[in-house]
Amino acid sequence: MDIFAGLINGFSIALMGTNILFCFLGALIGTAIGVLPGLGPAATIALLLPLTYVIGSPVTAIIMMAGIYYGAMYGGSTTSILLNLPGEAASVVTCIDGYQMAKKGRAGAALGIAAIGSFIAGTVAVIGLTFFAPPLAEFALDFGPPEYFALTTLGLLLAVTLSGGSITKGLIILIVGLLLAMVGLDPISGKIRFTFGSIGLQGGFDFVTLAMGVFGLGEILYNLESTMKTELVTRKIGKIFPTLKDWADSKWAILRGSVIGFFIGIIPGGGSVISSLASYAIEKKYSKHPEEFGQGAIQGVAGPESANNAASSSSFIPLLTLGIPGNAAIAMIFAALMIQGITPGPFLVAEHPDLFWGVIASMYIGNAMLLVLNLPMVGLWVQMLRVPYGILAPVIVLFTTVGVYSVQNQVFDIYSMLFFAALGYGMRKLKFDPAPLPLAFVLGPMVERSLRQSLLISGGDLTIFVTRPISGTLIAIFVLLIVGQTTFFIKRKMRGKKTTAT
Amino acid sequence: MNHMRKVTLFLTLAMVTMLMVGGLCFGAEKYPTKPIQVIVPYSAGGSSDLLARTVEKIWTKYSTQPMLVIDKPGAGGVQGTEYVVRAKPDGYTVLFAYGSGCDLVMPHLQKMPYDPLKDLAPVARLSIHSVVVNVSGKSPIKSMKDLIEYANKGNRITAAVSTAAGAVDIVMRAIAKRANIPITTVPFAGGADAVTALAGGHLVIGGGHPSEVLPHIKAGRFRPIGVALDRRDGTLPNVPTLKEQGINVATWGSVKGVAVPLGTPPEIIAYLESTLKKVCEDKDFKKTMAQIGQPIDYLNTKDWAAFMPKASKDYGDMIKELGIKI
Repeated sequence: MDIFAGLINGFSIALMGTNILFCFLGALIGTAIGVLPGLGPAATIALLLPLTYVIGSPVTAIIMMAGIYYGAMYGGSTTSILLNLPGEAASVVTCIDGYQMAKKGRAGAALGIAAIGSFIAGTVAVIGLTFFAPPLAEFALDFGPPEYFALTTLGLLLAVTLSGGSITKGLIILIVGLLLAMVGLDPISGKIRFTFGSIGLQGGFDFVTLAMGVFGLGEILYNLESTMKTELVTRKIGKIFPTLKDWADSKWAILRGSVIGFFIGIIPGGGSVISSLASYAIEKKYSKHPEEFGQGAIQGVAGPESANNAASSSSFIPLLTLGIPGNAAIAMIFAALMIQGITPGPFLVAEHPDLFWGVIASMYIGNAMLLVLNLPMVGLWVQMLRVPYGILAPVIVLFTTVGVYSVQNQVFDIYSMLFFAALGYGMRKLKFDPAPLPLAFVLGPMVERSLRQSLLISGGDLTIFVTRPISGTLIAIFVLLIVGQTTFFIKRKMRGKKTTAT
Repeated sequence: MNHMRKVTLFLTLAMVTMLMVGGLCFGAEKYPTKPIQVIVPYSAGGSSDLLARTVEKIWTKYSTQPMLVIDKPGAGGVQGTEYVVRAKPDGYTVLFAYGSGCDLVMPHLQKMPYDPLKDLAPVARLSIHSVVVNVSGKSPIKSMKDLIEYANKGNRITAAVSTAAGAVDIVMRAIAKRANIPITTVPFAGGADAVTALAGGHLVIGGGHPSEVLPHIKAGRFRPIGVALDRRDGTLPNVPTLKEQGINVATWGSVKGVAVPLGTPPEIIAYLESTLKKVCEDKDFKKTMAQIGQPIDYLNTKDWAAFMPKASKDYGDMIKELGIKI
């Protein structure tokens, strides 16, 4: 078969000395920036772009960039689990149970399962990429504004329900997140909203700024009040690697996460966030002990981490087969290809088979390298929790500040981070779960934009959302979830009344 | 842990230093003696960023100091541009993509924190990105005439545009006005998103710069039906202009030039101008620009300084005529 011949050719390219070296460099740099808060794959690839002129061979350059991209996904879970510090939207879900596990002395198990899950998911996604890329690419194009609206609305619903706390508080945080996302330019008319004349606000808030403030700094401010609690966390480290029971608990979560992530990742835009949300919701549903979610359930780490890694690999499908970059980091790889004189798109396989198959083959190798690189690191990372909080906290503040500045090179973002830190502190004081905030912040603008675009396209006709097959199905799922949840509530209320009556 | 942090920090620092080596040889007194910071007020991977990086690649052939491209996106380009306006006029902070929407279009629609025409000193123009009108490859529409007929049969025409009141949006609204057909423009989150939506066939027409649409035209997914320039675009020589098809719409699209803070010494501007000219005449530069679908359209400092107010006035007149407000 063509695919096998291509793949063998790809491996012969990816296994060349220089390519292995650059694949390793990419994976290493990716892991490093994934761990460093703020510094994302897009900025790193931009920074390293001049290096690709020197490398000369486009395959080698793209192998390294791809490595940085999926390597960053691997590294991203580390700070989420250890410090409750999500580097990007997809990691917010990992924080929920990952950080709880770390608090219970199971940071090693969480990190280990995240690495193993990422490896399996990455490999599953690359296998999918190898065999089904062209037919699935068309699937990405089927997503127009109505489909995005249905998908992101579903995402918002999951964001509220996942936290497990009070639904009312979840909804309040959701609204706050949506409001914060509205600051800046109106996505359709371009009107300026909620900026109070500030040019800084005109650009809107940045996601990293919000996440670092609410999670990272907010957590530190809150911990300053109670030194006792943090001592407890740091003393108990426990087993470094996941046990056999952990593996048995999470193997299905990993597989389900891989498949979900692979498919949702193909859709350009919010793919990785929605895939990790969907995976978390499904694991909670499937679990025999849904009450453990939010308290440090290992499936709550394994599923979403697998999903967002699978999504990062499958997001190469629209790039390589259609020439459509789905997110900022992929857009940089797109730019790098263009500068090398290679147009990504349907002719890529025919015109540059060496590049297409070489990069795909390198992803198999890169995933294995990441596992080998990351598993031994788990032990080292866990040692980090031994560092006294008085030293650790200022270091986190330093790194987040530098990280936040590095995203857009704007000083304004540092001030916004301080504002969000105060917000995060307040939320913790008032016992609000902060998880829905960044998710609403990311999904909100997509919901708003796609809703208004759909209505512009349909001329104000609301049936556009139910008459199209994909959006119709998603809307149906949305309605089913709402109805199911509401009847569940009513039943519980009724039962509650009965017991109090008797 | 501290150790690990140090290692990771060291790695990143090592990367940065690697890139700046060569920029650290002090001693020479003539400009430039250190790397030149190039500010792109748009996000990484966009057409302005791509242009800056293509120049960066060739720049070192003709200059002793490298360029250092920094993307400062935000507020549609205002934040990055303002940074340059307020920067020290020493020739080490240079604005790329001067002449984009935030310099030519935005001032006619909203209050600006600076005057894009008066607060910056022009250096040279590098390129003009025209607006190409496309339909899906599967569409029965083959020309502007077909489009007008299609509309007159009572079909709704939806148009994918990159942003509200952006270069593409203005072209679509102008077509609607001049051809007297209703067009609903649907703004997206940038050129790439608009192009993707049209590729999926979710709208009837769409517009984009050649660099964005060329891959799709090659793949047969798009059919270009008109160019909104007053002459044909060098990257799409077979596509007639809108004027050729009887629709009197021509804009400057998105102009990409270079500027420095006001007060920069003339000899520094002259150095930048002559080096950019050499870059524009370079064989490899021409090749790469053709590959990324950006036509080279060089203007020297004098002509570029005269071009900007004219292009701004053209846009202003058009915006007034079309009654565009945000």
